[in-house]
Amino acid sequence: MDWDQFDLNPRTVAALKKADIKSVKEILNLSGADLQRLMKLSSADIQCLLKTVSRTLRRNSVVTALQLYQDKDHLTSQSQKLSLGCSVLDNLLKGGIPLVGITELAGESSAGKTQISLQLCLCVQYPYKYGGLESGAVYICTEDAFPSKRLQQLIGQQHKLRADVPAEIIQKIKFGNSIFVEHAADLDTFHKCITTRLSLLLARGMVRLVVIDSIAALFRCEFGASESVTKARYLQTFGAQLHSLSARFRTPIMCINQVWHQNCCLFCRGHLINGWRVMVHSLVVGNRVAPALGITWANQLLMRLMASRISLPGQASGVASHCTGSVRTLRVVFAPHLPPSSCYYTVQLEGVKGIK
Amino acid sequence: MQREVGSLPLAPALRARLAAAGFQTAQELLETGPCGLSKEIGISKEEALEALQVVRQECHGDAARTAGGSGTARKFTALELLEEEQAQGFIITFCSALDNILGGGVQLTKITEVCGAPGVGKTQLCMQLAVDVQIPECFGGVAGEAVFIDTEGSFMVDRVVDIAAACVEHCQLIAEAQQEADHLKALETFSLESILSHIYYFRCRDYIELLAQVYLLPEFLSEHSKVRLVVIDGIAFPFRHDFEDLSLRTRLLNGLAQQLIIIANDHKAAVVLTNQMTTRIGQSQSTLVPALGESWGHAATVRLIFHWDNSQRLATLYKSPSQREATVPYHVTPHGFRDVQPPAVTQNAEGTEMNPRKRPRREEEKQ
Repeated sequence: MDWDQFDLNPRTVAALKKADIKSVKEILNLSGADLQRLMKLSSADIQCLLKTVSRTLRRNSVVTALQLYQDKDHLTSQSQKLSLGCSVLDNLLKGGIPLVGITELAGESSAGKTQISLQLCLCVQYPYKYGGLESGAVYICTEDAFPSKRLQQLIGQQHKLRADVPAEIIQKIKFGNSIFVEHAADLDTFHKCITTRLSLLLARGMVRLVVIDSIAALFRCEFGASESVTKARYLQTFGAQLHSLSARFRTPIMCINQVWHQNCCLFCRGHLINGWRVMVHSLVVGNRVAPALGITWANQLLMRLMASRISLPGQASGVASHCTGSVRTLRVVFAPHLPPSSCYYTVQLEGVKGIK
Repeated sequence: MQREVGSLPLAPALRARLAAAGFQTAQELLETGPCGLSKEIGISKEEALEALQVVRQECHGDAARTAGGSGTARKFTALELLEEEQAQGFIITFCSALDNILGGGVQLTKITEVCGAPGVGKTQLCMQLAVDVQIPECFGGVAGEAVFIDTEGSFMVDRVVDIAAACVEHCQLIAEAQQEADHLKALETFSLESILSHIYYFRCRDYIELLAQVYLLPEFLSEHSKVRLVVIDGIAFPFRHDFEDLSLRTRLLNGLAQQLIIIANDHKAAVVLTNQMTTRIGQSQSTLVPALGESWGHAATVRLIFHWDNSQRLATLYKSPSQREATVPYHVTPHGFRDVQPPAVTQNAEGTEMNPRKRPRREEEKQ
């Protein structure tokens, strides 16, 4: 690090070189008192040093909320979201999936989580005008094989699902070419995948959506009761890495999670069975099921959605009559910009469609 | 001039040498002069000259700093402190139950920490406070501006717009009901755009950026002297991964806490931090506790814990130097942070004064 280019007192520069400090990060990692001892400078000099290096790191970083609100540029605007391909579902989410942050979709098996994710992988490829991001998707499978037959079915039926988009535009998009499927059945492979493969694809602008199906499967068997600390550390590291990728490339990360029944934890209160059943006391309220992986994972999320086959009480009897297949519920559990709300949907041949 | 050598802002090694050579006060140093000093303690003439310049500046500064200002050692009587504290403003939360248990609202010059599980409403409270700090004085607010430091990316401006619009509407209703000139005048400048333009938003992606931002805050607050609220949402997220050395983390957090205390005091601002919860696995059960460890618990003056009881959200005042521990329910509505039921409508504002420390509030409670 060339300290001479900073706006610093020559004495400070000499002390930095003598103490062999090589980066701004090293300076900020030390407290004021530590720096004084290390560099043998007065506290005024140290304050000046800290302010100068902080300034280089945080130049022009302030923006007012008004500027955020008025920014309509699709490259930076907060109001830009990734559409789900159905107006009812988009309305529930006030536009769609936010572009920066980890969104979780939890639910029992066959609730429709994979269906929704596949739909998103196709939606992301549409132009900005139609709610997409004009780019591809990465689909990371951690347990089952990738459902390629179903994907082909969905691709064939896009014109039916997306009646709002002109047919020429749909025909031009080569859906299958832009979906990159990765398999990662254990933690090390997963770690390698997100640190190398994913960053590469994102840096080249080839993808603007990451789907992880599912995050819970990675932690199912590997951790015993005594390893909850290690497990928490993995979860936090993955969460931080995904979060940082999402922020850097303005790419939504969709994590699919499984659920376990809350009454079971009454039996394992004294001991942790299957390591991954960490206590979640006040996490999901009033429900029999709760998303897996506990509060450590929930702390990494921006938004949590729950998909279930059981419809909410008070469902009108007329709702199910005209739909083939069972009615499911998509519920917003928490999100900073959405109230707790839900809507119904079904899984049709052409994809997932909400019911008004 | 009688300032002790040990309290001067010189390098520690230099101070040690001066003490060993027998110098005790600044006066003695200045009388010796640079040549004498360099001979006595064995440093170069340039260093001695510089040291004396620093000493001279300090002494001048001391003489000038007799009344107030951001000096290092002011003296106050306890009565003066009490009066100053009672004159201190509060930032209301719009949930009167929560304001009551806090003694009026979020207090200026103090650090308030809000802990809770994801989704319980911490960010909602922060956004509400960033709007409420701007309420004009005639409506019972502190007419300040807000700094919002976001480490998680959960600041959604559309939500802030909803909260701000509801707040403006609330004030408009009061103005219509009371028809006073200063209310109407204040409303001319209290609009959605003005509220949004006075929330200064910083996005910090890791703990280094957060530390750098906090080092730059005093300067920013000096330039924007109307800022009365600094929110850091959340403080735990950047510090909970990446740290092999937990003692380094504790040192950095302590330094951060100290700087925030200085900022809160010097600029008469309220500092609000949000923290995560973590599971502490005990002998026979596990409990949820605030993250970042025991030593972080000392950083905040006031600690609130948000939690669920079935589907009701509750706020518990867990730590406060002046208020009793208490738990109240609250709601997060499309308009923002609110009470659970409409409180009893009061005809006479004076009559509701159960807490003598509370500033008299002239606004009606209206849901």
